[in-house]
Amino acid sequence: MGEAARQPLKPLSPAVRVGRFLQPWIRRLVLWLFALWCLFPIYWLFTMSLKRQVDAISRKPKFIFEPIWDNYVKVLGSGEVWLYFQNSLIVALGTTALSLLLGVPTAYVLARYRFTGNADFGFWILTTRMTPPVAMLIPFFVVYIRSGLFDTHLGLILAHTAITISIVVWLMKGFFEDLPKELEEAAFMDGATGYQAFRQICLPVTLPGIAAVAILTFLFSWNEFLFSLVLADRVQTVPVGLYNFVGYQQIRWGELTASAVIMLTPVLLFVFVFQRQLVRGLTLGAIK
Amino acid sequence: MAKIVLENIEKRWGQFSAVKDLSLTVADREFIVLLGPSGCGKSTTLRIIAGLESATSGNVYIDGVRVNDRLARDRDIAMVFQNYGLYPHMTVRQHIAYPLRLKRVGDPELSERVLAAAERVHLSEFLDRRPRSLSGGQRQRVALARAIVRTPNLFLMDEPLSNLDAILRVTMRAELKHLHHNLKTTTVYVTHDQIEAMTMASRVVVMNNGMVEQIGAPEQIYGDPDNLFVATFIGSPPINRIPGRASGGEFQTASANIGGFPIWLSGDAVLGVRPEHVSIADEDPDIAGTVFAVEYTGSELLIVADTGGDRISLIGDLARRPKIDERIGLRIDRGETFFFDAQTGARIRKSS
Repeated sequence: MGEAARQPLKPLSPAVRVGRFLQPWIRRLVLWLFALWCLFPIYWLFTMSLKRQVDAISRKPKFIFEPIWDNYVKVLGSGEVWLYFQNSLIVALGTTALSLLLGVPTAYVLARYRFTGNADFGFWILTTRMTPPVAMLIPFFVVYIRSGLFDTHLGLILAHTAITISIVVWLMKGFFEDLPKELEEAAFMDGATGYQAFRQICLPVTLPGIAAVAILTFLFSWNEFLFSLVLADRVQTVPVGLYNFVGYQQIRWGELTASAVIMLTPVLLFVFVFQRQLVRGLTLGAIK
Repeated sequence: MAKIVLENIEKRWGQFSAVKDLSLTVADREFIVLLGPSGCGKSTTLRIIAGLESATSGNVYIDGVRVNDRLARDRDIAMVFQNYGLYPHMTVRQHIAYPLRLKRVGDPELSERVLAAAERVHLSEFLDRRPRSLSGGQRQRVALARAIVRTPNLFLMDEPLSNLDAILRVTMRAELKHLHHNLKTTTVYVTHDQIEAMTMASRVVVMNNGMVEQIGAPEQIYGDPDNLFVATFIGSPPINRIPGRASGGEFQTASANIGGFPIWLSGDAVLGVRPEHVSIADEDPDIAGTVFAVEYTGSELLIVADTGGDRISLIGDLARRPKIDERIGLRIDRGETFFFDAQTGARIRKSS
């Protein structure tokens, strides 16, 4: 009946075959270019930290020069870097802890419990992210001066938490919503209370997600500049400290970049070590 | 050990009624199966008993105590979920121990009971594994062990075997049945698989559209269905449904006039007869037809015949194997037929 319609499989044309062969190589080339684009600033930062001021501010960018360690010796010798480092660590860890402590349970309740105003409350948390932070800066400043929070670690922690909490809540809400309801129902049948189901079942299961959110929060606080600059004076965090090298008349590039490298290293190491958790956490529930 | 009474249970979500005016009494030690197509309200009913869902109206009693307002954890019920509801971060041992931990059972007793429960479902070698590294059947048994470890009042099972492959399902069916025989705990079991229902239940509740169609022992449901839905839903291959008109002991179908039925029958009706009660009759047939399909099942033949309007399936024996398009005669076993109202689908019985 349909004998005439049946056709043998044709061999692939040469063009298709060449295309198949090239495809992975093109993909690799694009990725390499992208990686270069991302990594070049870090490379430039590092090399500049090894340059003398004349080499650093030379009109034609210098790729070949005589490296010196003087900048590092000077920066590490002054001891100020360690202070910035310490301040940043306290503020970033404090922010991470507080954000998670407040944000994770909030996210769970928003994800799992039905109550009047649930959606409104969630949206309200999100709106805190819609105002440009600069708009809140002056009110923050006034309140901080009057309440004595100005120039304290706690003050910076609170300010950073106010910004990060919305990310924490919305990311964690997504993770909790992706958990199958059966998980908690099984816990209830086993005799668990609502809190026990959250604490003993849901929390351990979303741990990769929590870790990722914690890292993001930490990095945000570590990098935050504007609030840290305005809301503190002597309590200087790393980005604010670096800003000191930018003077009115000249920028001390050598010391600036050397300090930047010192500050950047722990963060890079941190992300490098935890990158698998970070990726796993952020894609948690994305693939089912 | 517990007796459950459901009294006029109603569950509504907005305009949609999932369960309508359901009343049911489950006796102590009974193995009762809620059976029906998906969306018939059987799982909702189970979840109302569990306390995971609250009834819009009606009462739930366990051992005579009204439990509507009690939380799931205060009802002393164990439940096995369709997707097992296992905790990814816990080992098998931790799973089984979890209900006891929550009850603050202390250590020597806890370990003993965990081991005993694991033993019962053949999981002793897997105590330190996590769910990820267990097979479907093993996961199912973890859920079971977790349910039996605290000797609850009542077991609820929500399609526990539907994620397993066919062979494992048969094995687990037997194990569940055996477990119930040993523990004698009242069990409510939800399934859409009529074979599971027939093989395991002491009584079957057939549900459709949120309502109970019939409650009875498997034999009763199969051999004496109350309506066309029950007759059709139970049995594989499904019952033959032949529409027609009855009068004076005769039944007039689209293609034949079959005599020998009770004289009191009259009006439009649907004749129901199971394939095993139709046979090939080369002499003096009730209906003649052409063979549409012949399926060999190993022990017997499933033959579908086209009688000019209705397709009738029958179970034939291997000795007489007709060919497709062959003309054959069929005989219907009069004593094994049911008549249903053509409009309502209700069974037409003599008294009515």
